[in-house]
Amino acid sequence: MSTAAMTETSRSAAGTERKSRTWVLPSVVLALLGTLWLYVGSLDLDSVEARSLAGDVVLGALWQHIQLVVVSTVLTVAVGVPLGVALTRPGIRRAGAIVLAAANASQAVPSIGVLVLLAMIFGVGFWMAVVALVLYALLPVLRNTMVGIRQVDPALIDAGRGMGMSTREVLLTIELPLAVPVMLAGIRVALILNVGVATLAAFTNAGGLGSVISSGIALDRMPVLIVGSALTMALALTVDWLAGLAERALRPRGI
Amino acid sequence: MSDRPTPSPDAMIVLDGVSKRYPGQDKAVVSDLSMEIRRGEFVVLVGPSGCGKTTTLRMINRLVEPTAGRILIDGRDVTHVDGDELRRGIGYVIQQIGLLPHLTIADNIALVPKMLGVAKSERRARALELLELVGLDPALHADRHPRQLSGGQQQRVGVARALASDPPVMLMDEPFGAVDPIAREKLQTEFLRLQERIRKTIVMVTHDMDEALRLGDRIAIFDSGSRLAQFDTPLEILSNPADDFVRDFVGSGAPVRRLSLLTVADVLGTAPSTAAGAGRAIEVDPGDSVHTALEQVLAAGAEGIEVAVPEEGSRFLDLGTLLTAASQPAKVLT
Ligand SMILES: Nc1ncnc2c1ncn2[C@@H]1O[C@H](COP(=O)(O)OP(=O)(O)OP(=O)(O)O)[C@@H](O)[C@H]1O
Ligand SMILES: [Mg+2]
Repeated sequence: MSTAAMTETSRSAAGTERKSRTWVLPSVVLALLGTLWLYVGSLDLDSVEARSLAGDVVLGALWQHIQLVVVSTVLTVAVGVPLGVALTRPGIRRAGAIVLAAANASQAVPSIGVLVLLAMIFGVGFWMAVVALVLYALLPVLRNTMVGIRQVDPALIDAGRGMGMSTREVLLTIELPLAVPVMLAGIRVALILNVGVATLAAFTNAGGLGSVISSGIALDRMPVLIVGSALTMALALTVDWLAGLAERALRPRGI
Repeated sequence: MSDRPTPSPDAMIVLDGVSKRYPGQDKAVVSDLSMEIRRGEFVVLVGPSGCGKTTTLRMINRLVEPTAGRILIDGRDVTHVDGDELRRGIGYVIQQIGLLPHLTIADNIALVPKMLGVAKSERRARALELLELVGLDPALHADRHPRQLSGGQQQRVGVARALASDPPVMLMDEPFGAVDPIAREKLQTEFLRLQERIRKTIVMVTHDMDEALRLGDRIAIFDSGSRLAQFDTPLEILSNPADDFVRDFVGSGAPVRRLSLLTVADVLGTAPSTAAGAGRAIEVDPGDSVHTALEQVLAAGAEGIEVAVPEEGSRFLDLGTLLTAASQPAKVLT
């Protein structure tokens, strides 16, 4: 299975990582996938189940799911980080509070509602699902970028200005690097959120593991439902694990 | 400002009728302040909290923009030049030190040279040289992160960083405030020794009068509203306080504090010569402070001091004569 393969290579790549516990998540994922494999192998699949669980069907759904998550997360970061930075600049700082409040409120709207609403306005398909995912995952990225920058010790900014840095140089050499850990935490949350919410994309015809789950429900076939859910879980755990590794690798040293 | 006298040629920093009123406040924090700081001079600004010391200091590198008046550095009017560029040429040390935690010590020191476009290897060499200068072993500290250093070590790095581009002027805002008293005294002593070598023009803010007396060539005492109550040498401030505010601010113990500023040579002029030979005398140098001389006399249980004077040979002063001469406020030789 491709998740398992992915897990393996990433693990060996990260083999030099110090710190314990980096192996916990991948072993959980491997155990989950192994159990799933044994479970499906032990079943006597009827023709409907066999069709729904054919390798290319499941892997295709998984691949679509990954595409949805990756594209939407990249776009979320591309929108959220610059917006978050802009909203911490003096002058429009006050607008930041308003935007945050609005973003917080939007988080309360159920994701399925957003999806359906957008589908009604823009039609269905991959990109519509991406738009919905971006809207949904924007908040943690935006908020953590703003919080990350605001929590930088004012004395450091003062020291930077005092040695002749322009506001831009202060942003690039002081504020952003020091905000990285908090920003990465927000991006990680967005990623995990996207893995989950992307299952709903099936309702708007965008494919993904959600389509495996919903066909399991629609056809009343328990094994199909289980495979879809378990793969979603395994994907979420793998993504979280990779994000954790990235967080550790990208965090500036010394802080 | 045309009614003001033109600054003297050895003036390094000139504040000419400078005022600052922060937006939204109806009273100026600093109003119509004029000061002249000479090349290579170490000037300390002291005064009660909130009197505008930091504001005054930050107007010199224009982190705070004056609302009126002119600022000249080395004869150049910098009131309206590009602030970032100006600040790259002025060293600045703050109480919170402000080392960037994600950069190594060497990279922290090399920040300004980097902005000025100095090549990487050269920056590194400069950083190591400066670490040496402030008394830190480069091999041990250059590649560490600020968190791994003690407060006193960090403060030294802060000084090294301010010196990185060899600026003629250094501004320091309570630079030794964040370290414990013992480390502070050590830093002060080392800093004085460093200043003897590098001879920068330094303006330092403190609210510790003892620190001001120890370090300053001249001390500017501010009253609230940045009124310059007195701007003079430590000895002159202790001997002839300009008004009651200065007297109060300096506090009790001024006569005793003077003893460490007064040299034996200073008191020789006013002291009548006593006949030598009566008792045991301690030999002291004319450059020694009266405080040191007294300490030695008291420790040895002697009756006076013996000073070698170039033309007259040697002079003996007994304890009483020494003290009487040292307590005369008017006579100050400079
Ligand atoms: N950015 C600012 N905006 C408005 N008011 C300010 C600002 N900075 C300082 N002030 C006010 O100006 C006055 C002088 O402040 P300043 O920091 O210059 O005092 P200080 O002499 O350095 O005091 P301290 O010894 O406490 O450091 C204070 O009343 C302070 O509240
Ligand atoms: Mg201050």
